[in-house]
Amino acid sequence: MKFDEQQLKAVKEFLYKIADDQLIIGHRNSEWTGLGPILEEDIAFSSIAQDKLGQSMHIYEILYSLGEKDPDTIAFTREAKDFKCSHFVEYMIGEYDFSLMRNFLFSHSELIRFEMLAESSLEPLANLAKKYKGEIKYHVMHSDLWVKQLGKANEESHARMQSALNECFNLALGIFEESEFAEDLKEMKIFDGEKFLRDKWLEQIMPVLEKASLETPPQSNWSPVYGGRKGEHTEYLQPLLDEMGAVFRLDPKAEW
Amino acid sequence: MYGTTFVDKNKPVKNILEGEDPEKLAEFEARITRGEKIEPKDWMPREYRRQLIRMIEQHAHSEIIGALPEGTWITRAPGFRRKLALMAKVQDEVGHGQLLYSAAETLGKSREAMINDLINGKSKYSNVFNYPAMTWGDTAIIAWLIDAGAIINQVTNAKGSYGPYCRALERICSEESFHLKYGHDNVVYLATGTPKQRELVQDALNRWWTPIMHFHGPPDKISAHTEILMKWKVKMASNDDMRQQFLNEYVPKIWDLGLTIPDPKLRKNEETGKWEYTEPDWDEFKRVINGEGPCNKERLQVRRWAEERGAWVRRALKKAEQKYSIPLA
Amino acid sequence: MKSFDPRVNRMELPSNDDGKEVLESEENWETYEVFHQKKRGDQHIHVGIVHAANPEMALILAKESFGRRRQTANIWVVKSSLVYPTDYENQDMFETTPEKTYREASDYYCMDRIRKYQKEHGISDRKDERRKNKEAEEK
Repeated sequence: MKFDEQQLKAVKEFLYKIADDQLIIGHRNSEWTGLGPILEEDIAFSSIAQDKLGQSMHIYEILYSLGEKDPDTIAFTREAKDFKCSHFVEYMIGEYDFSLMRNFLFSHSELIRFEMLAESSLEPLANLAKKYKGEIKYHVMHSDLWVKQLGKANEESHARMQSALNECFNLALGIFEESEFAEDLKEMKIFDGEKFLRDKWLEQIMPVLEKASLETPPQSNWSPVYGGRKGEHTEYLQPLLDEMGAVFRLDPKAEW
Repeated sequence: MYGTTFVDKNKPVKNILEGEDPEKLAEFEARITRGEKIEPKDWMPREYRRQLIRMIEQHAHSEIIGALPEGTWITRAPGFRRKLALMAKVQDEVGHGQLLYSAAETLGKSREAMINDLINGKSKYSNVFNYPAMTWGDTAIIAWLIDAGAIINQVTNAKGSYGPYCRALERICSEESFHLKYGHDNVVYLATGTPKQRELVQDALNRWWTPIMHFHGPPDKISAHTEILMKWKVKMASNDDMRQQFLNEYVPKIWDLGLTIPDPKLRKNEETGKWEYTEPDWDEFKRVINGEGPCNKERLQVRRWAEERGAWVRRALKKAEQKYSIPLA
Repeated sequence: MKSFDPRVNRMELPSNDDGKEVLESEENWETYEVFHQKKRGDQHIHVGIVHAANPEMALILAKESFGRRRQTANIWVVKSSLVYPTDYENQDMFETTPEKTYREASDYYCMDRIRKYQKEHGISDRKDERRKNKEAEEK
């Protein structure tokens, strides 16, 4: 595919946004390895984190083929202002209710996003979307199970999951911050837009939340947390990146 | 430490077998001598059950605690490949813990009881994890040489008599081959990399050499008790034998990279075929295993933190009608 | 006290010196036996157990406990309490099984009988014929 300057900008921004979200949430989720609530779930959660990291790496590889730096350099040396991830994925892991709820809301958005991308004219991305369908499907199955079961198990678990949903919802809406290049992406038949994705996402999560006896805030109270896509981030991102790059940056030219 | 048996030198052999049905005991021992496995519901002497629970449980705890010093470096691993591999390795350790607890559960001790005993200090785990992984170089040394030591233990114990433990060990051994390769690869890249990287791994090796020499446990004195455990194929080899095997396989590989080992006496006696070395400080080993190591307190505090944080999840989904179950195999 | 583990430095560690038992009984739920099928067409093989609160959870967890490092097409889970085993005490009921060689292909051999009959009735042996023809061709 050949791109003019504006189109190339649009494509790169789009890819960075997706991969950055995956990298950061994968990194966050990896913090639970060895510390989960029960051994078997610890193992499952770690796989989900590895999946997201792997997916981000493959998208950075597409960026590399478009003239950006190699995936390790992209992931391990950029400063916070150069990241395009949403605020949602930057937040600390908190308690397991927060991490589960974050995964639930994020995985559903990934499921739909990649369903849309399977038809994308950007062939390498469409291929990845088809390849990752199964992985993402499992992430949704996993999240749905925990949200539904904990939402209804007892008073404490219900209260925690509701509180986590309250904390997460506006942050999750921030995933769908529209790009200034939305029209370009649509014209190029690469992606039909965040608005379309968000509508489908709401359609998909509502029935599950209902089964879990959980309520989203009334629409009048919705206040999406934007800024991440434009490089404005929370106070959590830079320390995360400093930690992530701690060894790599000792010598970025070294082979580890 | 894990995969090793505990012998109470003060308890006479007579007491250990006291009250055991001599006919059943003879049948049990004949089965083992024939090379057959003992399965969970088989008759077994009290001491056999006791030693196995202790051994398998400690092995399980070692995996779970071992996940901590290595897990700390996941968020700082350099580059995608190392990050993903380290995550998968630590995940495997948690998985191995799960497999081993399951084997111990077949003998009648619940996972909850085992975890409680770990946290309150009643059960032990491999001493080597009471030391901190201070640098990335440490993780490379641990992943290569500690896993190497563990594999030698595991391959030896996989020939033991208790079915569930053997099956768990087989599964574990097949996954460990990646750990060893990953660890070695890591050490090689550091040792053959920039001067700073080389310094990193040499420094780590210097600091970890004593714990590595401690890994297979103190030289065991053969007593009547150890003889019984060997007859029952609970103890499969002496600690010194396994240490010799480790040195024989891995010291040459360390020297291949031009790395030095902080023991001037270390050499293979070509006549006897045995490795000679400075006897490591077994008093230090004793002090550390009894709680005075740099990380003992922290390790158990972290386990307690994790279990307490997860309690709401477990308790919310515990049903009134659920019944305690023992795994079949 | 600062730890070498940045994760630990973000935790508020409990003192852990009260000797309290942290886990209550049966907090780790019940066990489910897991059966793993490598490829379509293969048997499901018993691979171990997972602790889970219910069957749906057991499947989700078994996928990663037993399917993450090996090729997998399908997984079954069964509550341990629902598996009915035979008694090892009765292992002897299987003892004479290998002796019943009349059920083994290897127990059947009658070439000698065929050759004897062929010799007595002048029936040519096909193997011999082929050998003679081959030798003739080679000359």
